[in-house]
Amino acid sequence: MDRRATLRANEGTDPAPGRARPRPRPGGRAGTSRPLHRSASWSLRGIALALTLVLLPAGEARAFGETSRLTFVQGRYDGNWNPRTSALRRLAFEIGTRTSISTLPEEKVLDLDSPELFRYPFLYLAGTGPLPTLSQAQTDNLRRYLTYGGFLLCDDAGDGSFAASCEREIARVLPGQEAGRIPADHVLFKSFFLVDQPAGRTLARPYLTGFTEGSRLAVVISANDLGGAWARDELGSWEYEVAPGGESQREFAFRLGVNIAMYSLCTDYKDDQVHIPFIMKRRR
Amino acid sequence: MEAVYNDWRVVLLSPWPTWLLVLLGALAVAGVVLAARGLRKERSGVRKTVLLSLRTVSMLAALFVILEPGVRLLQTAQVRSRLAILIDGSASMQLPTEAGGTSRAAEAAAWLSRVTPALQELEANYSLEYYQYDDGLQPIEASAAVGGLPSTGETTDLLPSLRALTGGGSHGGRKLAGAVVIGDGTDHGELKAGLGGATRKALEGLKIPVSTVAVGGGAVKDLAIEAVVVEDFAFVRNTVEIEAKVAASAMGTLDVPVVLRREGQVVSQQSVRVDPGERSYSVKFSFVPDEIGEFVFTVSAPVYEGEAIASNNSRSFVLKVIRDRVRTLLVVGRPSWDQRFLRTLLKTDPNVDLISFFILRTPQDNPKAGETELSLIPFPVQEIFDRQLKSFDLVIFQNFAYRPYRMDAYLPNIRRYVEEGGAFVMIGGESSFGEGGYDLTPLGEILPVEPVGVAPNEALFQPRLTEAGLRHPITQLASSAEANQAAWARLPELPGLNVTRAKPGARVLLDQPHLTAGGENAPVLAVGEAGRGRVMALTTDSSWFWSIVASGEGGSTSRAYERVWSNAIRWLVRDPELTPVIVRASQRSIEPGQPVFATITARGSDYGPAAGAEIEVSLIDAETGNTLRKERRSAGVDGTAQVELGTPQAGAYKIVARASLAGQELGEGFDVVAVRAASVERSDVQARPGLLREIAEVTGGGFVEASSGQLPPMDLAPPDVVEVGRAKDRPIWDRFWPLVILAVCLGGEWVLRRRWGYP
Repeated sequence: MDRRATLRANEGTDPAPGRARPRPRPGGRAGTSRPLHRSASWSLRGIALALTLVLLPAGEARAFGETSRLTFVQGRYDGNWNPRTSALRRLAFEIGTRTSISTLPEEKVLDLDSPELFRYPFLYLAGTGPLPTLSQAQTDNLRRYLTYGGFLLCDDAGDGSFAASCEREIARVLPGQEAGRIPADHVLFKSFFLVDQPAGRTLARPYLTGFTEGSRLAVVISANDLGGAWARDELGSWEYEVAPGGESQREFAFRLGVNIAMYSLCTDYKDDQVHIPFIMKRRR
Repeated sequence: MEAVYNDWRVVLLSPWPTWLLVLLGALAVAGVVLAARGLRKERSGVRKTVLLSLRTVSMLAALFVILEPGVRLLQTAQVRSRLAILIDGSASMQLPTEAGGTSRAAEAAAWLSRVTPALQELEANYSLEYYQYDDGLQPIEASAAVGGLPSTGETTDLLPSLRALTGGGSHGGRKLAGAVVIGDGTDHGELKAGLGGATRKALEGLKIPVSTVAVGGGAVKDLAIEAVVVEDFAFVRNTVEIEAKVAASAMGTLDVPVVLRREGQVVSQQSVRVDPGERSYSVKFSFVPDEIGEFVFTVSAPVYEGEAIASNNSRSFVLKVIRDRVRTLLVVGRPSWDQRFLRTLLKTDPNVDLISFFILRTPQDNPKAGETELSLIPFPVQEIFDRQLKSFDLVIFQNFAYRPYRMDAYLPNIRRYVEEGGAFVMIGGESSFGEGGYDLTPLGEILPVEPVGVAPNEALFQPRLTEAGLRHPITQLASSAEANQAAWARLPELPGLNVTRAKPGARVLLDQPHLTAGGENAPVLAVGEAGRGRVMALTTDSSWFWSIVASGEGGSTSRAYERVWSNAIRWLVRDPELTPVIVRASQRSIEPGQPVFATITARGSDYGPAAGAEIEVSLIDAETGNTLRKERRSAGVDGTAQVELGTPQAGAYKIVARASLAGQELGEGFDVVAVRAASVERSDVQARPGLLREIAEVTGGGFVEASSGQLPPMDLAPPDVVEVGRAKDRPIWDRFWPLVILAVCLGGEWVLRRRWGYP
């Protein structure tokens, strides 16, 4: 293989010289991973924002519309359905920054029995307490959603009762199935980053559980408050401390989020034979 | 004058019915038994013996009188049985008995001439019948048999001829005593594989001895491709194994090159060393077909001087090369739901072998991690688009920008790949069509659409099925036009498309009814031909709506997405069932002298039967490309036409049909046919005296070589003897002596009983 071609084509690296393509910045937010202190002056931020807008050239390629991009849908139900209000926005930003996926910065909110769900195949459910028993309409809708190709991420921001109730309810949605532990060698953990542990704001449970539809993982359930690690306020401060691993654990939480999004779009692409030797080599 | 009686037999002349005679006989036996019972207590053995003997003799005498035996004098004559003499009249009898010798037919005639005196002696008891046999039995005159037969039969099948002898007709009531078969032993019918269980039983069931005379036992110089062992079909890009069976006779020691050709082109060559002690050889070829279709292959060896038959040095066969799975390359510019649903569909399709590459990270992206923490691999541009491209049946670019990967140098490869028979699809997105800069590239030249310089349109729209799309295979969601129209109308609206216009010659199957480009409605789905390949443009990145959204909002599982892509793949890779003109030869491999027949099926642009289509059919020599014959036909109501294309000589041929309807070309199709170099009869030089010997052994006949000049030992059944005319009865019961014996015995017994104190 041509070494130059290899170096250039890292599933998309190194554009032709002189043609550095400006990147879309979702929502025009300039994001960094270092939290800004509340005492930083508004003028400084304003100048940075202005410069970003000025320097951002016009006319770069954009996806056709919101359905061409990855749009997160927050599922609404009777209960504390949105405990981490900024989590998805931040995750969308990180995904857009780190990967070639084009994301919509703001999530959509839909009821679990909404027919509009089918236009957004990524559904996020979060909670701090048990998920209420789903109504028949919600159950039927979710069943069809997952069977026809939808993906669901359940994120427990509390004491584990939300995760447990999700496992119970999804077992009703997908009869004949039970939540199973997602093994450490699942393609989910190598869909973009090589991830060793499913950390979130906490590491309450060292594994993820899930439900499959055919060979595809259709539901992923985390008991480690992923959203809590992602959430960042409008001033740029992380909303929650991450323990026990601190900021490095937050980084792993983002990587897991990126992987989950990448998996929802690419499924077992990284299990294709052509990838295996590279992944094995890097895992050693 | 007293008739001459030459035979006699004993008869019973009693007029009484049989049952009465039986009853009287039983009474006589009872009389003896009762006497024996009455003498049980007699102590004197002498008395017992005397009385019992007298009773027995008197009962026998009585029976003799009652049965009235006599002698019937007969006049008889002997009837001659039949003896059939069968002479092989097949084409193999023209072969020489040995190198430079006379023909086998001549040897058979010479033998008949030498044994004629012996045959004449047999005529005293047997009626000789002469027959010629090949695949049937024909009676001939004795003089024709002795003079030599023309031997033109194209195949030999002895067993049915023997059955015909024993089973058919009464022949005036004369039985068949046996048969004599004179031939070389070659058989291509029931005895082709020698004597097995069934054929052995069949010969035993004839119930006559079959004696055999073998001709042509000498060595004949010949090299032959006896058979080619190959499957009826092979998978493209998979190794095919072919075995050629070579037979050599009196060739000496020689290295023989054996060549495998496909329609004149050498595919593979092997060499086989021929030795005098060995007759059969196996030559194996293996190759990898790179093209689907039906092809005529020929295995051949050189013709050497002095060979008895030249035409058996080559053998042709037809091999159908099919696709096992459609090998598909999917290159995606960025992960999206459009890519997700397409990949899932292709991955789960058992007819598709999918290789996919997704750009997960562009140069502008910052993963905030080292390379070793990522699962990304290099995008092997040169490997795919230079070395491996031809291995794919279908290439799909889905919202893929070529520029960042310096693929300019490879785009001509893709164009050439399509023009040489490949298939290509471009799916919309912000990096496709004009937005991706493809318009001025070699790929842009082959796409069925071109950009109009307008930005992508994001308005929601309902794709409209065009007139061309109404019956095109790709957009067939239902069988009738109305149902198809309704099925498309039920699908959800799509958000956004690349704005393009169709090029001349392209077929637009779906369009945007509210958006024009270049004066026509903007295409959503368009197809076209590029050289020998096919291309498709899908200008939206939301066809996945036909899957999850159609199912979810429609209330039931929609198969539209699956059908459209499945249909598209079949059309793009030219699934034979979807071609507008289909040619089927009645036989792919025919004997020399047999005509070539074919059936042509023509379909209109709407893929319905093209009734009345004008069809031109050509028979083309596959090796030289010369057209040998042309015929014109009109398709019937069902779109088919039958045609005969004459009787070509040995070789490989293509039957090519072109159809047109109302001045419009419908398309072209072809099939292949191989005409054998020689019939089996004329290519098999080897005589089989062993088979003739076995036939004789099984049936109880004898065997000789013709060179002995003698009749084979024959254990023939003697002729039947039948009654002729008169018979005369002479009674013997009416003599005096039976009555005297009866009276003496009865009287003597009575006297002795009285004397010895019996009542």
